[in-house]
Amino acid sequence: MDVNTIAWLILLLPLASAAVILLGTKKSAGISALISTGSVIATLVLSFLLLAQPDTAAAKPLQWLSLGDFEVTIGLKLDSLAQGMMIIVTGIGTLVHVFSLGYMHDDAGKARFFAGLSQFMFSMTGIVLADNFAMMFIFWELVGVSSYILIGHWYDKDSAADAAKKAFLVNRIGDFGFMIGILLVWVLTGSIYFDEIAKAIGGVQNANLLNAAVLLVFCGAVGKSAQLPLHVWLPDAMEGPTPVSALIHAATMVAAGVYMLARVSFLVGAAEMAADTIAIIGGATALLAALMATQQNDIKRVLAYSTLSQLGYMIMAQGLHDGSDAGMFHLYTHAWFKALLFLGSGAVIFACHHEQDIWKMGGLRQKMPITFWTFLIGTAALIAVPGTSGFWSKEAILEAAWHDHNYLVWGLGIAVAFLTPFYMTRLFVVAFLGKPRTKDADHAHEVSPIMWVPLAILAVMAVISAYITGPLEAKGHVAFHMSLTAILSLAGLVVGVLAGWKLYAGCDRDPVNIKLFANKFYLDELYLGIVRLFQDFVGMTFDAVDRYLIEPITVRLPALAAMSSGYVLRLLQVGNLQAYGFLFGLGAVVLIWLIVF
Amino acid sequence: MPAYALEIIVFSLGLVLLLVDAFAKLEDKRSLAWLGMLGLVVVFGLLFKVEPRAADDANVFWRFYSDSRMSLFFKGIAILSTILVLAMAIDYRGLIEKFTAPAEKKAHPQAGLGEFFALPVFACAGLMCMASATNLVSIFVSLEAVTITFYVMVAYMRRNVGSLEAGVKYLILGALSTGFLVYGFAWLYGITGSMDLAEIGAALKSGDVSPTAALFAFSLILVALGFKVGAVPFQMWIPDVYQGAPTPITAFLSVGSKAAGFIVLLRLSAVFLGSEAVAGQVAMAFAVVAGLTLIVGNLTAIPQSNFKRLLAYSSIAHAGFLLTALAAAPRKLEAGQLSSATVVAFYLGAYLLMTLLAFLVVGLVRVHRDSEEIEAYRGLGKSSPFLALALLIAMASLAGVPLTAGFFGKFFVFQLAIQGGHWWLVTLAAIGAGAGFYYYLKVVAAMYWDDPTGAAAKAAAIPVSALTRAAVVTLIVLIVIAGFAPRMILGLIG
Amino acid sequence: MQQEFIPVLIQIVIATGFAVATLIASVLLGKRAKRNQMKDSAYECGMLPIGEGQARFSVKFYLVAMLFVLFDIEVVFLYPWAVSFKRLAVDGGQLVVFFSALSFIVILFVAYLYALRKGALEWKD
Repeated sequence: MDVNTIAWLILLLPLASAAVILLGTKKSAGISALISTGSVIATLVLSFLLLAQPDTAAAKPLQWLSLGDFEVTIGLKLDSLAQGMMIIVTGIGTLVHVFSLGYMHDDAGKARFFAGLSQFMFSMTGIVLADNFAMMFIFWELVGVSSYILIGHWYDKDSAADAAKKAFLVNRIGDFGFMIGILLVWVLTGSIYFDEIAKAIGGVQNANLLNAAVLLVFCGAVGKSAQLPLHVWLPDAMEGPTPVSALIHAATMVAAGVYMLARVSFLVGAAEMAADTIAIIGGATALLAALMATQQNDIKRVLAYSTLSQLGYMIMAQGLHDGSDAGMFHLYTHAWFKALLFLGSGAVIFACHHEQDIWKMGGLRQKMPITFWTFLIGTAALIAVPGTSGFWSKEAILEAAWHDHNYLVWGLGIAVAFLTPFYMTRLFVVAFLGKPRTKDADHAHEVSPIMWVPLAILAVMAVISAYITGPLEAKGHVAFHMSLTAILSLAGLVVGVLAGWKLYAGCDRDPVNIKLFANKFYLDELYLGIVRLFQDFVGMTFDAVDRYLIEPITVRLPALAAMSSGYVLRLLQVGNLQAYGFLFGLGAVVLIWLIVF
Repeated sequence: MPAYALEIIVFSLGLVLLLVDAFAKLEDKRSLAWLGMLGLVVVFGLLFKVEPRAADDANVFWRFYSDSRMSLFFKGIAILSTILVLAMAIDYRGLIEKFTAPAEKKAHPQAGLGEFFALPVFACAGLMCMASATNLVSIFVSLEAVTITFYVMVAYMRRNVGSLEAGVKYLILGALSTGFLVYGFAWLYGITGSMDLAEIGAALKSGDVSPTAALFAFSLILVALGFKVGAVPFQMWIPDVYQGAPTPITAFLSVGSKAAGFIVLLRLSAVFLGSEAVAGQVAMAFAVVAGLTLIVGNLTAIPQSNFKRLLAYSSIAHAGFLLTALAAAPRKLEAGQLSSATVVAFYLGAYLLMTLLAFLVVGLVRVHRDSEEIEAYRGLGKSSPFLALALLIAMASLAGVPLTAGFFGKFFVFQLAIQGGHWWLVTLAAIGAGAGFYYYLKVVAAMYWDDPTGAAAKAAAIPVSALTRAAVVTLIVLIVIAGFAPRMILGLIG
Repeated sequence: MQQEFIPVLIQIVIATGFAVATLIASVLLGKRAKRNQMKDSAYECGMLPIGEGQARFSVKFYLVAMLFVLFDIEVVFLYPWAVSFKRLAVDGGQLVVFFSALSFIVILFVAYLYALRKGALEWKD
């Protein structure tokens, strides 16, 4: 197969699968699940074939839109960045599909679920392979839609429907900025193609505008990758089925923002002020999310906040000088162990009859040994135990911050390195060790192989992925220097684990109670207040202006004119044949007179 | 196989259907429709196997007939719409039976149904001939073949007063317009001495012909064809006839008859626009008629409460957009620019898809809800989500929402008008398109937001047969494809 | 060129003139009678008229008449075709000219069969 066929197949197979399921096999859930899983396995194989391509590979573009001089093509960029990302997306996608075969086995909307997964795979692949901003934006929105569908999978549950809506709306806010950013970049460089922008970026004189453009583009990443202040949707999105949380809200979709920034790293590099802002927002998100994670009781929410925190790391790296590669490296390793943790939590939730509160678990070590060990490995990777993949990539980011002399950001990163081991130890100790605290936890037993095999594979990847970076070789590799950073982060590990152990071992309820963290710094309430303020006061003003000034002039008047002329013209339609004949003749005479004379 | 074999096949198919109906004792006459559809599907396939005319083929026949890409495209439109009309007719047969069944008790209830499935096939043959006609005689004969078939079909429900009234109105005004057409053709022949379009074009170009006489001939022809396509001021018949005719025939009328009028208009306008002496006046006439049609069609549609009547005005409005494309025909085609013929062909193709989709739903609702008022569509989004979705897409496309076929149709028209600098036409078209959003989305709002009242509140879901479902899905897919990749359709036009 | 049309013009003038002249003549020459209801009735004496003024034909009459016209036209068409056959049938045109007329006849034959079968020629109820 030539590179064209491979690339287009990778993009279109999931779409075909979604179409087949929605249009044809929706009634038979089993077949639908197999179609979807088959398509994702096929794309995984194809993605491996893609690895053999050179870094400069690109698929022949399709002409899509042509508006005068402005042309949009659907082209596929297949450089090593895209190749590596495709392995992550399809690799984790495959494992999640397989896991879902077990997890969603008895779900009423199974076919719909798998169609949604396929649709998501299609959208995500589009983002990864896009070679221009227009195409990326289209797929960016498609990802938003698929995520909306999947979060709201159990739409009869109010909380799920609300969470889906929240995710969609919050993402829209970011996307609006993204869109304006794209337009601004287009204005500045005259192109929407990444390659051409990279060439033209040096010629941009107006640094302020460039900073603005980059920050607006970054807005898109803030939305999708759930950075401050738009992070609020991600924890709520855990209302979706757990495999969705693993695939979308841990490994792939939320990484899209990071990926996009890496894709346009030349842009970020050219705008210094914007880059600093990005790094600080990333660092702040990492720290705040880690603080919030320490006081959550829902197993998935803890993981969600840890995801936020890790995404903060990655975004932070994108803003650092020479940090983009480290960020991508962390994205790559994080994808595996976070998917593992989510699927592991899914297995726990499944075994405990959909109980998500860690204080109602406990003692799962004996009940679910495989889940226990794999979860332990995932935790080790997340808290960066030396030797695991997470250690190497986190180290790379912190080193990059140090070498950039960006000590504020570096400090934020180090603080997070103390917090992460703490809250993960808390989670682990409470959920898995000790005695079962409820009947559900007592009756839990190990999940079926279709669910634990993906866990095992992911556990292996969580350890070794750093050593087999493949196409991302240039982005990051295993390297260790004894430095202040290394010492501090190792200290963080030890202190964090010990503190967590000391505080939580053998506890039946939370001995620490920090309202501020548990209530997520009251940010949700703050937003609600702001929205209410807008609705009550600003909204009222606008409403008045709209109702008494704008509407009568711009809407009512033309509408009235159109309506009334419609009614007048309608009177001509008398329904009488003689009258029609007369008007016909009259029209003919007038027309002839008009044309001939 | 040469192109004209297709017309022969389709026409023979019609004859076969008539004979089978007359001689075979069919219990269920739906099989006639199935036979017709099957035959037409085969012909549609054969369309791609047509061999172009051999270079040494000096048969006199070719003086009447062209097998250009454009002709084949229009043949495809004719066949496709006939197939869908037959599919609609199957769903609609209950009403036809009701209004045609013989008075005697013991007669077969479907006794009057057979011809209803055969007549569209004849009309299709006529439309296909017209797509290829290059001679005044063949244009006239095929146009009349289509029109006369339509007279019969419009008045088909002979025990229904509305259908009869529509039939009479259509017949009388149609005859009037045919008179204008023949008179115009006669003048054209008189001043150029030829029936062949190419020779007429050459004669007009040479300048030996009196421009006044040529313009007179043109205005007569424009009156007649204006009637066919529903251009203002010759549009009066459209709302009444559309409302009265059986719904599948209304659909066919709005697609087939309009396409027929525009093919002829395209051919003839090319002849007149080629002559320096008259081109300016001709373009001006098109622009005036287009402007009037846009305004009247779109604005009168606003207060309508009957959906079928609304679609009738929408048909007038779309004629306005198509005429705009003709009015803005570029004198000299620049590289990469679409000719107005291409734009019209694309628009008609898109119009076919969305109109048939809308009428499919209208027909089903008429049969099961016994109403064509917009009120009857309230709550359709809940009771029949599939049909509501289909109608939503049809309406979106008719209004010209991006990523539907209708959007690119309008887009190309605007592009052409802007390139030609016809700013006031652009303004009128923009007003028309804006009004379109209002009245098309009114239906959508009724389906999804308004609470059903009266009988509609308790109505059960409308049953959709597998055939109809397939037709609806096909149309939706085609609308979306044309909305995503208009180039594919443009490629077919050539 | 305009001269050729003078006869046509003359004919139009004569045709309209004749009609107008007749009407004028009848007004001028005719005796204007007094009009009253009695004078306008069908008979001034005798039976009162019953029923419609015109006898109604059976609808079948129109059907047969129409079919007659159709088949009559067939023959009318065949005359000019036969007369000009030799002139048209040159340069390989024979086939086209021959089969055009043949298909015309075949179509009319099918129409005849159809009409026959549908009972259009049956007179009794």
